[in-house]
Amino acid sequence: MEGGNGNRGSSFSQSRHSRGRGRGRGRGHRFRSNQSKVSSFDERVTSSSSGSRASTSVLGDKQEEDAQPSSNFVGTCPYMCPGEILERTQRENMRDLAVFERLNGNPRKSSPALAIKKFCRTISTKYVQASDLRPIAVLENTLNYLLSLLESKEHSFEEVHDFIFDRTRSIRQDITMQNIVDNKAIYMYEGMVKFHVVSHYKLWCSISDPNTASMHHLNLEQLTKTLTSLFNLYEANRNSNYVHENEAEFHSLYVLLHLGSYSQPMGEPLSLWFRRVSTPVLKSKEMCFARRILRSSQLGNYKDFFRTAAAQASYLQFCIMMPFINEVRALALSCINFGGYKLHPYPLLDLSKYLMIKESDLESFCHSCGLEICTDESGNKLLPTKQTTFRHPKGEFQSYSFVGLQEYEKL
Amino acid sequence: MAYMSMGEAHRRITEYLNSFSDAVSSQDGASFKSLFALSSNAPSLLSLADALNIFQDANRLIKQSDNYSQFADILVPLFRSLQNYRQNNLLEAYNAFEKTANAFIQEFRNWESAWALEALYVIVYDVRVLAEKADKELASNGKSPEKLKGAGSVLMKVFGTLAGKGSKRVGALYLGTVNLCRSVIRSIETARIFDFEEFPKRDKVTYMYYTGRLEVFNENFSAADYKLSYALKYCNPQSSANIRMILKHLIPVKLSIGILPKSSLLEKYNLLEYSNIVQALRRGDLRLLRRALQDHEDRFLRSGVYLVLEKLELQVYQRLVKKIYIIQKQKDPNRAHQVKLEVIVKALKWLEIDMDVDEVECIMAILIFKNLMKGYFAHKSKVVVLSKQDPFPKLNGKPQLIEDVIPIWQSSYNLGPVSSRS
Repeated sequence: MEGGNGNRGSSFSQSRHSRGRGRGRGRGHRFRSNQSKVSSFDERVTSSSSGSRASTSVLGDKQEEDAQPSSNFVGTCPYMCPGEILERTQRENMRDLAVFERLNGNPRKSSPALAIKKFCRTISTKYVQASDLRPIAVLENTLNYLLSLLESKEHSFEEVHDFIFDRTRSIRQDITMQNIVDNKAIYMYEGMVKFHVVSHYKLWCSISDPNTASMHHLNLEQLTKTLTSLFNLYEANRNSNYVHENEAEFHSLYVLLHLGSYSQPMGEPLSLWFRRVSTPVLKSKEMCFARRILRSSQLGNYKDFFRTAAAQASYLQFCIMMPFINEVRALALSCINFGGYKLHPYPLLDLSKYLMIKESDLESFCHSCGLEICTDESGNKLLPTKQTTFRHPKGEFQSYSFVGLQEYEKL
Repeated sequence: MAYMSMGEAHRRITEYLNSFSDAVSSQDGASFKSLFALSSNAPSLLSLADALNIFQDANRLIKQSDNYSQFADILVPLFRSLQNYRQNNLLEAYNAFEKTANAFIQEFRNWESAWALEALYVIVYDVRVLAEKADKELASNGKSPEKLKGAGSVLMKVFGTLAGKGSKRVGALYLGTVNLCRSVIRSIETARIFDFEEFPKRDKVTYMYYTGRLEVFNENFSAADYKLSYALKYCNPQSSANIRMILKHLIPVKLSIGILPKSSLLEKYNLLEYSNIVQALRRGDLRLLRRALQDHEDRFLRSGVYLVLEKLELQVYQRLVKKIYIIQKQKDPNRAHQVKLEVIVKALKWLEIDMDVDEVECIMAILIFKNLMKGYFAHKSKVVVLSKQDPFPKLNGKPQLIEDVIPIWQSSYNLGPVSSRS
């Protein structure tokens, strides 16, 4: 409880001087019991709180990771995982080592080359020491090592993804707590976004498994958060009209995330977001591509949609778009079924060319949309129109090749 | 109430005042917000209230330093509110807090960035909570509970302020604004003792304008139409600038449902960026539409209507096919309803748009599917066959002119163009 004494005055002036970006430390005791009530307002305000303080970390994510940035902190931990008394040995003892961290498969033994700091949700800045945090050079090496695990043939993608998902979150936590916001942070965030983007596609390929479905959902959440932080980093490093090498592509991914039923993955209408995008980025070829794809899909111009995608999509753009393309194909089928001349069943071969899908896959897709196929005397497959059994394929999942972008499927 | 000496009371009050001015000078939103959370019953604020009740002359303390005397308009009623709150005089507590809120809003408008957003939110929340408590007190004394209505006005003012604070660059701020707006809207729309109709017209117009605009961004066209039309109807006919702002967002909505403004309206309110778009829709000129979008791309993107306007392409295609149909009808009425896809390809080529026959078929299929055209298309013969009856249904019942919908203006649109201000 508050008791009057001179001490309070001095700690107050002390925190006034260390204001910079040090927040949250030493401030709690002023309105100590007030803090818990006020934090309920934080929840109410949700993610809007992260941007409202002028000198708050640009990296947002306050609510979840609860890490407060401080300019006083520069990490000194030389390992991917704080060793010594702490995390690594503790986890060894508790057998809390991921498969990738085990030395020779031993669940009780790791090593500095294998152990990586885990993500910890409830971190209180009061107890963090410099030796717990990894400096940027170590973080870079850690990230590179993690991403190299993606090449692994021994483990399923889900296993590798799960591990990298967690450990990269911890990397972001270390970055936030040291308030690193320069080009190195940009580079690392780009790498992490890429990981989530590729996972978005690869996890979707196995999404009929309910475990994978929830991973996919969580991955999308982190994707959007990390992408938003990346945009803030670009903004914070803005230098006249300079545009980072990859800035346009990452902005285009944001647009593509708004395809289909993900209508507001960011909780903000796309129109509002566009207002803040800088002109050079808006005019970039990647953004023009994304905007064209969005327009075609909303107008229902499936021909232009697939043709443009096949001609111009980059690998990352492909990963974001793939979960959506069957929706466009289903729309095409509805239109043809609805408006096609009854006496002219539609040749599947022609349709498969517009929809960039193999004819055999198209046949199977028609079936899952409740549509029958017939065959003419020469053996050509046709789609009779005006069928009343059309339905959107729900629950059953299909992943068909995107003809023209098959090289991406092999990556 | 714990015992406190005069000296102690003095110290507490001064300390609070110092935190207040410190928070402002360092733009520390987090600390700032905790200074206003009356209804949270935080011990620190309660003991501040006790101190105020003991000291009794806090106004003198406020005037003592420039650091906080400049905020007297906020602090004096805030202290009064705290004191009354502590003594359970909830009506007085609310009245004073309302004054604080209004003064705060003024100050907030002057601050450069929205660093005090969280504090604003705390104040908004407490305005409502205190109003509800005040109303309970009024009701229990047999009087009519009317404070929540006053609270509504404050909320709307806040809302107007937030929505107007549009030009800052911090990304998360916008998200915050949108989310906060939603919370404020929800506050307003769910408060029970509340009758929207009884608010002053000016506040209602503002509210409908900002929420209508949000509906446009979210592409909820019928809600947007309703709200923006309301704002337009009750807007002061003398304030051209405001009318222009409303029209800027209402026109794209109307266009999407097939209602075209007269060019005299566009001229009068200096909205000529829409002229070519309207023209394109009238003529079925796809090239003109695309060019107009390109010419004014920045402006449309900044006002958030670009994505809406882009989608007018379908209506332009519909119009183009209709024109071909009309021409064919004049030449050979019996066969006019059959339109060869090649003819459409040629028409587009004449407009310098390169589209192959397969893509044209795709467009026809979509137009038919969306009921912009009635008929069917034949893949083998590459022709679209229009229904003999009403092949081009209207989008939304009878087409109307915007002017017909706003009776107060019917006379005024005949006047010459008003001097334009952008």
